[in-house]
Amino acid sequence: MSQLATENTSNGRTILVCCGTGCQASGSLEVLASLRGLLAGEAGTAVRASTKSTGCNGLCEKGPLVKILPDDITYCQVAAEDVPDIVDGLRDGTPVQRLLYRDPVTRQRYRSHRETSFYKKQHKIALRNIGEIDPGDIRDYLDRGGYRALRTALSMTPAQVIGEVLASGLRGRGGGGFPTGRKWQSCAAADNAPRYVICNGDEGDPGAFMDRSIMEGDPHTVLEGMIICAHAVGASSGFIYVRDEYDLAVVNLHQAIRDARAAGFLGDRILGSDLSFDIEIVRGGGAFVCGEETALIASIEGHPGEPRDKYVFPAVKGLWGRPTVINNVETWANVPVIIDGGAAGFAEIGTAGSKGTKVFSLVGKVVSTGLVEVPMGATLREIVFDIGGGVPRGRSFKAVQTGGPSGGCIPGSLLDLAVDFDSLAAAGSMMGSGGLIVMDDRTCMVEVARYYVNFLAGESCGKCTPCREGISLLLETLTGITGGRGSIADLDLLESLSATVRAASLCALGRTAPNPVLSTLKYFRDEYLAHICDHRCPAGVCRELTEFYIDAGLCTGCGLCRRKCPAEAVSGEKKQPHAIDAARCIRCGECINNCRFQAVRIR
Amino acid sequence: MKIVIDGIETAASPGEMLLEVARRLGVRIPTLCYHEAFGGQGVCRLCLVEVTAGEVSRLVASCTYPVTGEIEVRTTTPEIERIRRHIIMLLHRRAPGSEFIQELYREYGCQENVPAPDPDERCIMCRLCVNACEAVGACAITAVDRGTDKRIDTPYGEASPDCIGCCACAEVCPTKAIGVSRAAGHYTIWNREFELERCAGCGRPFTSRPCQERIARLSGQELSGAQLCPECRKKQAGSRVALSMIP
Ligand SMILES: Cc1cc2nc3c(=O)[nH]c(=O)nc-3n(C[C@H](O)[C@H](O)[C@H](O)COP(=O)(O)O)c2cc1C
Ligand code: FES
Ligand code: FES
Repeated sequence: MSQLATENTSNGRTILVCCGTGCQASGSLEVLASLRGLLAGEAGTAVRASTKSTGCNGLCEKGPLVKILPDDITYCQVAAEDVPDIVDGLRDGTPVQRLLYRDPVTRQRYRSHRETSFYKKQHKIALRNIGEIDPGDIRDYLDRGGYRALRTALSMTPAQVIGEVLASGLRGRGGGGFPTGRKWQSCAAADNAPRYVICNGDEGDPGAFMDRSIMEGDPHTVLEGMIICAHAVGASSGFIYVRDEYDLAVVNLHQAIRDARAAGFLGDRILGSDLSFDIEIVRGGGAFVCGEETALIASIEGHPGEPRDKYVFPAVKGLWGRPTVINNVETWANVPVIIDGGAAGFAEIGTAGSKGTKVFSLVGKVVSTGLVEVPMGATLREIVFDIGGGVPRGRSFKAVQTGGPSGGCIPGSLLDLAVDFDSLAAAGSMMGSGGLIVMDDRTCMVEVARYYVNFLAGESCGKCTPCREGISLLLETLTGITGGRGSIADLDLLESLSATVRAASLCALGRTAPNPVLSTLKYFRDEYLAHICDHRCPAGVCRELTEFYIDAGLCTGCGLCRRKCPAEAVSGEKKQPHAIDAARCIRCGECINNCRFQAVRIR
Repeated sequence: MKIVIDGIETAASPGEMLLEVARRLGVRIPTLCYHEAFGGQGVCRLCLVEVTAGEVSRLVASCTYPVTGEIEVRTTTPEIERIRRHIIMLLHRRAPGSEFIQELYREYGCQENVPAPDPDERCIMCRLCVNACEAVGACAITAVDRGTDKRIDTPYGEASPDCIGCCACAEVCPTKAIGVSRAAGHYTIWNREFELERCAGCGRPFTSRPCQERIARLSGQELSGAQLCPECRKKQAGSRVALSMIP
């Protein structure tokens, strides 16, 4: 059994302890140990319960999470010290009030996480099992209908399976949004067997963790998706390429592969059919660009992780020159649901061009952060405000950055945008892997562009000229602007150079790298102009262009900023308006970030 | 199959690289990282052309684009011109020390005046050197690191035991970026010092021992005794021919 083992004995209650990476970091393993200890002491009493460790529930911020079934009680931020009260609560079934989820906006407490605004608007397909099952126990997956889709697929012809996937409208969740069925179709049609199936679990976008969650919390769904594909395209081996840092994912996938082999879902003549297929795990090369499919393939082959021109798709000529289907983890997680429930049901969810759901990792300046899965076509407002609870600390919403480092920034005027692959691209951003970073009014959009371009400058593979040299010049130009050395001509250079990098780069990293620049230039040009013409950073972020002062009319003299200031630049008597000494101020923003009266201002 | 390049119809075999078809036709497409001996790499992107298949047009690197269907190709458009100018401008910013690039910069009428991080740099990262090194079978240099720090080097920048001192890399480099420093009796390339072997004929120093060994192995011969420099070998062959003609 894996690290996340179960004790499945009594027919009493089941206590699910979240042991996703987030909850483990906040101490869920201690909670689990203490629960097991106390429950062992209750043997023979009225408290009959077994424990189970699960994958990530998507609300790591409130972890460790503990759920009690069938009562449907959810506890948040549980510490080992809380365990005796939880066990006591099991006697009469009354929940421990202080541990229940409290809505950050309404302060209301909820008995079950399902009732909270964070979960209510979600629609779980890819994440359907996560948090509900022990990822180390194949029986849990089977109990929830696991591998039923595989049996169905094996009773269909390969063409029928591909037909279902085509009809479902499923598009790749790894970023490009390419129709999955078409990819399978061209792989199946290409001769030159053997064919290969690859799962892209490199997940390089900073802040994204949906693929990790799936691999850690529901590894069998990935395997099942891949096996179904192997039947559809006639593949004999598969590889799961896992980001090197994802240790728990590797452990759980290994366990799942072993259990699937033992149960006859992998190996020779799967479930008595003609299909023979097995899966290996490959650990990632540790670079963002290794997630790009041709670089990933090169990396599996033992070459440096550099992309190549894709005039012939990997589906025709991929791993070792053979036809290869490569799909993203979340894409794979949708496949069993499509085959099991039928393409028609799946295609009812979502928008005209994008079917099903998408998992977003909602982070940044938003009250509730975490993983959220919503139908395609949900609006940004629903995601950021209804589910995420809006911007914290009374600040105002400025933008949401979508699509990872080479995505774009979308302004408040587009909050009602129904999010899908095509609408995001039309707005100058992209779906990417589903990163959603909320930005408030204390965010400088020029600095945001510089930040992402800087990331890409380091993570580009450096093979082709436009990407390597173009991004370098974009970065230098943006750094000039945020450093107060910008000129109006810089804006023309940024725009025309972006057009070249976009059109001429070899792979999609370069072709999307200008997005952060172009989208901020499009929606927040006034901020660029303020930096260049007025020598001012309106958000008070760029140090060379910022001067803070205190509005004496608003200052209550509470002294918080004076105490917080690391440079001793704030002075003032108690209950008297304070003042900032601009000469001493290092523009760190501690004063403005902490002031509760909006009295610190940016000149 | 039939394809049309800049209005001229021509035949191409499936899988043939577009650049090679264009060259055969006499249509000039500028290139920097392409070499007949190594094929296309898609690295410099100077060879971009516009390919139209049916309704869809897109830019492709002609050196890595295999012809697989009927297409129409335009090798210059205003957009392509802008891209090529930008590429030369970017390479000039990177490698302002190269006269070859300075000339292209003038030829393309580049105007952007951007300061260069390193005024002495000459390498444009075309990787022809890496290809040459591989072709010789040495594989001593590769593109290392990533992003804007990518450069051509030996592993860890140290003298590589795989380097045979053949200098094929320096020979093929279009920008003379690979330094070979010579001193009496030896020379240094990629931080590795080689002793110069003298020609058994004229006595001039001409190559390194490992390089002679490699050439001998590649041509399936035993390396034995004294070696002749290419000049003397030519002469020797010439006199052999001449001798054989004496009746
Ligand atoms: C720079 C770059 C990084 C990428 N990283 C990932 C990644 O981490 N995971 C992923 O699934 N796809 C990534 N992709 C997309 C893949 O190239 C590929 O499109 C995807 O794996 C195909 O699967 P899908 O059709 O299921 O989305 C990346 C693409 C680029 C250009
Ligand atoms: S790890 Fe528990 S909610 Fe994410
Ligand atoms: S010649 Fe084609 S990319 Fe360099």
